[in-house]
Amino acid sequence: MKLSRSDLPILRWSILAACASALISASMIYLNSAHIGNTHNELLHARKMRNDARTRLVAAHEDRDNMSIYSKEYGDLLKRKIVGDEQRLDWIEGMEKLRLMNLVWDFRYNISPQKTYTPNPPISSGNFDIRYSEMKLQFDLLHEAQLVDFFAALPKKIPGWYQLEGCTLSRSAPAEENPAMSSGVQLKAECTGGWITLKNRNPQP
Amino acid sequence: MKHALLLFLSADHLHAQHMVSGKIAVTRDFADSTHGREEFRSFLKSVKCPAYLLTDLIEEDFRHELVPHLTGRKRAALLTRKFEQYYRGTPFRQATLLHRQKSGRRDDDILFSALTNPTLIMNWVAIILEQKIQLIGIYSVPQISAPLVKNNPSNHILLVTWERYSGLRQTYFSNKHLQISRLTPVHSALTFHDAVVNELSRTFQYLKSLSLLPTDQTLDVLILCHNDDRIELQVKLPETHDMRYDLADISEIGQQLKLDYYFSDSDASQIFLHYLAAHPPKINYANATHTHFHDLGRFKTALYLASAVLLLGVILWVVDNSLRSTEETRETSELKTETQSITKEVKQITSAFPNTYAPAGDMKAGVSVMRKLNQYSPPPLRIMSRISNSVGRYPQIQLDELSWQLSANEPVASNTVADVPARVIILKGHLVDFANDYRAVLNYLESFQRDLEENGYQVTVLTRPFDASPTGSIADQRDSTSSTLSFAVRLTRRPGINEVPDINRPPT
Repeated sequence: MKLSRSDLPILRWSILAACASALISASMIYLNSAHIGNTHNELLHARKMRNDARTRLVAAHEDRDNMSIYSKEYGDLLKRKIVGDEQRLDWIEGMEKLRLMNLVWDFRYNISPQKTYTPNPPISSGNFDIRYSEMKLQFDLLHEAQLVDFFAALPKKIPGWYQLEGCTLSRSAPAEENPAMSSGVQLKAECTGGWITLKNRNPQP
Repeated sequence: MKHALLLFLSADHLHAQHMVSGKIAVTRDFADSTHGREEFRSFLKSVKCPAYLLTDLIEEDFRHELVPHLTGRKRAALLTRKFEQYYRGTPFRQATLLHRQKSGRRDDDILFSALTNPTLIMNWVAIILEQKIQLIGIYSVPQISAPLVKNNPSNHILLVTWERYSGLRQTYFSNKHLQISRLTPVHSALTFHDAVVNELSRTFQYLKSLSLLPTDQTLDVLILCHNDDRIELQVKLPETHDMRYDLADISEIGQQLKLDYYFSDSDASQIFLHYLAAHPPKINYANATHTHFHDLGRFKTALYLASAVLLLGVILWVVDNSLRSTEETRETSELKTETQSITKEVKQITSAFPNTYAPAGDMKAGVSVMRKLNQYSPPPLRIMSRISNSVGRYPQIQLDELSWQLSANEPVASNTVADVPARVIILKGHLVDFANDYRAVLNYLESFQRDLEENGYQVTVLTRPFDASPTGSIADQRDSTSSTLSFAVRLTRRPGINEVPDINRPPT
């Protein structure tokens, strides 16, 4: 079939109908797609919100359980000033109290600048940075039990957490070589360790 | 078709009837004159519906030919060549494939036919096209007569009909295929039955002369006639062995076709018009120019249909999507309700929390870190007491130095904790009161070593009192002091599972 310009009046309404149909169809598809898209997005958003709420509920249950389990112990950590800034004055005051207790013949300590502590094996510390101030101790001992007594008394007298890493006990030189021997000092000990503090990276106001 | 215009064209007359739902609504007759054509033009202005033009003219030629079996463009070219060869002067021509030969080249047996006096038709067709009437096709009476003989058992049938405005039509079918057709005008002075009686013998002779009827073959003559004419024909038709007559009552045929028409005489025009409207043949005499407006109409209908289908499809799609969307909206609403309920529950739980120092997660993390560090660092008493017990069982060993460190790099033995550092202890001492009994020294030290191992230590001897191995050198030690029997051992031990504080419990 060959079409000519004179045929257009005959086909006019059918062409208009086809165009209108195409236009209406396209508009309906576009509008409906947009509506469907919005509805679907709302559904996805609602699902996400529901899932978030469920996660929050699980977290709330977990928090409630954690509260009951860890609250008291965490309070103790705060009380002992393990959580928060380090308290060097408390430490040196405590060391002096220990000195006055005469648990050992003599001891000397040296506290180094604070640094970040990386436990080995590693420990997951959550929001906390583990800070470490190394403190080396040197002892003059009459016998090895004095060392035991000293480290038993240390946590009781000083607020904080001293992490003992190691010790070396050795016999003192004879009296003619070491004047301290004449006072009864039998052993020398040198211990390494450090004061641990936990610093929250996101402290609460 | 709800509306149709059926046109019956004879040499000097055009009969038109407007059909509405299969019934005749209007009938008009037009003479082949200027006045008649003007009337037809006026009539068409009031009837705008698709038209069928049925011709019944003397000037219709039939020609059989066997042509090679071709398809596509080659076939079209062949047919065009044949048309130009046989019917150059008329546009109203057609080629009907009767059958394909079953042997030889299997050629096509084609019936070429044409309306050879186009001027009789062109005037009317021009008016139809001028009025933009959809002309579906141009047909001829012989062309649509085949259904009348379809159920007749004979292979050689002569169909005799009478059309009021054209005359007596005799159409010969061989094996149900149209062979030739003759139209004889019937003058008013001559009755139908007389005309039949006169023409039958001539036609029989004509068929014989063309060898279309085999020798000694009886010709079955089927005559469509009114009951009155049938009685006359039964009387007047000559008794002969050459022809066998079958007189079909035209009213009965009309009833069989459910025609709403009263037959007052033997005019078979309505029978043919009915057949044409009900089963128009695909092949007809009209060309693309004649059916242009019909093609346009079909194209227009196709456009409307496509538009409707598109719109309907989109509406269905939108409805389906809307239903799904409604389902999603319902689900969204349910989810929002559930979220609100959960949020409320969360609020209830969190509002019951004590006013604590930190979030529960931080509490857990802080406490867990300290519990773990508590596992890492054993008090000196725990390390020293175990060593003291072993040393106490060996009085001839004097300790000179004891040191311990923590190390995470030591191998993990069974039943020990892997994630807690091992204790590495260096023990230096010397052996006393052995005089020069070197064998006893070594045995004593080995016994001490075994004792430590039994207590869970992995023991590595760093220094022996003396080297009794083949690679070592030994000197006389009678005058040396007891310190010469010094030794050093390295002990490593990871705590057992039951020895470290439980991380899940607060430290005691």
